[in-house]
Amino acid sequence: MPKVNLTRRQFLQASSASLFLAGLPLPGYTKDKPPGTISVIMLEGGMDGLTAAPPFGDPNLSKMRKGLIPENYLKLNSFFGLHPSFQYFSGLMANNNASIVHATNFPYTARSHFEGQNLMQGGGLSPFSEISGWLGRSLELAKLPGRSLSLDMPLILRGTENNDNFYPASIRGSSNLKTKLIDMISMFHKDESASVFKKVSVKSTQKDSIVPRDPASLAKYAGKAMSQEGGPLSSVIKVTQFDTHSGQGTDEYSGHGRQLKLVDDIIAGYKQGLGDAWDRSIILTLTEFGRTVKENGTWGTEHGYGSAGFLAGGAITKSRVIAKWPGLSENEQYDKRDLMSTIDYRSICAACLENALGLDHDVIADKIFYTPDLLRVYDYIFS
Amino acid sequence: MNEQFRIAHKLGLMFLPETVLPEDVKSWAIDQLNAKSPALGIKRIARMAKNVPTVWPKSVQPDLLERDNMFSLFKYNKKREEMGLAGFTSEAAIRDNERTNTLGVLDELKFAQRNVYGEDQLKLRFTAFWANHFTTGNIWDNQNHIGHAIDEAILANLNGNFSHMLYKMTTHSSMLAYLDNCWSCGENSENAYWAKKDGFQAGLNDNLGRELLELHTVSPTAKYTELDIKNAANVLAGWGVWPGRITGDDELLSTEQRHKKLLEMGGTINSWDFFKKTHAEPGTKKVLGKVIPAGKGGLKQLTDFLGSHNHTIDYISFKLAQHFVNDNPTKQDVDYITKAWKVGNGDLVQIHTAVIERAITSDEPKFQWPMTWLFHVIRLSGATYFEGWDELEEYNRGVMHARNIFKELGQSFWHERQPNGYPLDKNEWLSGEMFERRIRFADAIYSGGNPTSTPDEIMDRIGANESTRSLVNNFKHRKDQFIALMCSPEIMGLENA
Repeated sequence: MPKVNLTRRQFLQASSASLFLAGLPLPGYTKDKPPGTISVIMLEGGMDGLTAAPPFGDPNLSKMRKGLIPENYLKLNSFFGLHPSFQYFSGLMANNNASIVHATNFPYTARSHFEGQNLMQGGGLSPFSEISGWLGRSLELAKLPGRSLSLDMPLILRGTENNDNFYPASIRGSSNLKTKLIDMISMFHKDESASVFKKVSVKSTQKDSIVPRDPASLAKYAGKAMSQEGGPLSSVIKVTQFDTHSGQGTDEYSGHGRQLKLVDDIIAGYKQGLGDAWDRSIILTLTEFGRTVKENGTWGTEHGYGSAGFLAGGAITKSRVIAKWPGLSENEQYDKRDLMSTIDYRSICAACLENALGLDHDVIADKIFYTPDLLRVYDYIFS
Repeated sequence: MNEQFRIAHKLGLMFLPETVLPEDVKSWAIDQLNAKSPALGIKRIARMAKNVPTVWPKSVQPDLLERDNMFSLFKYNKKREEMGLAGFTSEAAIRDNERTNTLGVLDELKFAQRNVYGEDQLKLRFTAFWANHFTTGNIWDNQNHIGHAIDEAILANLNGNFSHMLYKMTTHSSMLAYLDNCWSCGENSENAYWAKKDGFQAGLNDNLGRELLELHTVSPTAKYTELDIKNAANVLAGWGVWPGRITGDDELLSTEQRHKKLLEMGGTINSWDFFKKTHAEPGTKKVLGKVIPAGKGGLKQLTDFLGSHNHTIDYISFKLAQHFVNDNPTKQDVDYITKAWKVGNGDLVQIHTAVIERAITSDEPKFQWPMTWLFHVIRLSGATYFEGWDELEEYNRGVMHARNIFKELGQSFWHERQPNGYPLDKNEWLSGEMFERRIRFADAIYSGGNPTSTPDEIMDRIGANESTRSLVNNFKHRKDQFIALMCSPEIMGLENA
């Protein structure tokens, strides 16, 4: 067994668990800040960070992608703007509850969706090296539950027994689930399938109200569940169709704009569902790569490298655009085509984990991302 | 499970209750590759009356040209709806446009019925494997063309050469639209030249070129470069026309006007062989060291080269082994298939035969996809779960459309999804919600499908193992028995006999 140095949080977790067994109250939580919540919005297909938060202060932006710049963008500061689809998010920025990280990505430059998605969820050192995800491993380490709002269990949440998922069903002709029946099926299964049926059994005892399936409603549902005692401390929602090779468009009614609007709606849904728990919450977006700086031949963009990350939640008390801007001229681009990434997005994920789950940065760097020298950027986001 | 059902579980869709079981199941399995694949379907003459298997009438089997025309009309009407023209904006008109001119609902039902009643169950499983390998999801309103690609580019070419199937899928409207090739043009093409002069954006789109290398053929192990991707995209430039559309969503052309324009652009109205010289990149291109000449014939040379590339053979042989033999195939499993591939120079019958032989030899269980499991449950029990093709127009509260069944189940070839398709190993499918759906569907099939076999009869026929019997015998009610049986490790493919 490798020696693990317990952080203060873990120590409190461990001691409170044993105290609980002894029938005593949980003194640890009264003195220590209770864990926050962490939610991930996965943007599948590769979000174009230059459209989501256009750096209009860079003179090369209009030279490189004249046809892709939103006209009525919202102004963030003298350099960065915000896509008009982010109306709600811009309100959060104004209230110091949201930030943007720009020119950032996981350190992956080969431009494959599937390798990139595997890396951004697995958090390993190379694609397909991990069978668990960085959030799942973190929850396992902190012994906290997480939930995905999807039919499948995404890689990012695998690696812990404490994960679960939820997606409303609508099947004609099936009656209510019988707990005893499912328990029995579970008993005859082994290993993972047995534990999955056990989770179905738990579901059968819960009376969920009818939840619409649009991402915003799912986010609201997730937020509400996370706000409750003993609820999941983490949730994951996926938005598809960011792979805008053709007809990307500029405004909030275009292909890309509509997807960005969904992200905005999801964040609004989370806030509504979380209620008071918003104050200790962090939500972050995740995408496998950004897109080419230049517009391609079919009014879209190709797979690239650097993108942008959107952060929201009451855990943020000062809004910022965090960037070490690499520039957009051809020589400043990665491979003379992509927005360069100057911030390792794993550092952003690590800071959010540290904030929400109370895990030590060094533990996260080493045990979750296998990169002991991963830069700690916590203070840029949360101080 | 007895040998017949073990093999039908791993490689097929299970035997219907009335089917006589083959004695030599291995020969039967290999003979299956030559089984006829008629477009079977059921017709329900009156509600609850016996279902009558029939051949689908021509009226519900449109060919590619009709599909293009229907899609064109669908978009034409949509445009007029957007313009607020009288007669196009009422709910009835919108619904009517969907029903009459789109084919997703019909094609999914056809797919379901073929899988439930088809006597070529192994061919259908291989068809599903390739339909997944060559994923064309329903984005850009691809729904009129996905079913055609599955039937005509895959099933119809199942006993040919892999390179031929690769070419037919790469040039199919469904793929060219899904992976954005229809508007792509070479940077030095005539089209790019005129666009630049007029101040318009035009040029290359590398989406299909990239996935052709990454997903359909050599995979990243071949270590191709960004330049290889670009050159593959340049070979593809010029291929395709938006199915049923030429200029875009705003187009208002009659069928005749559209056909006239197609003839000018590509010399044909056949969207499956459509190459626009004006969009092609002049000059030779080099992909992974292979020099590809300019012109329409270049693509065939590229797909032939990639189709027989060693990395393609290794990569797809692994996928076949993972899908049909075991989640974690051994080197021997994969080698067995690559050897047959090389000996037969890509002949799919030899490749599929090797897969069958290896799957039979291996006694490892194989977890089955949700859709395969659904077909297994229906066929094992003799249930009538999908509606008849003659009922599509009727509204029946008790019946779910095939499209909704697959949607709820979480797997469908008509979904909007990513080009890497559905995962082949069980890890991706192990989730509470996915398993919950299996319980619910087992319930719904029992309750609404009137199974002709009881759980006991099914267990006797398949030679269920002791553990399955013991699980099922815990319950008194037949419905509970049925659900427990269908969600047992044995039927789900998690454990062996």
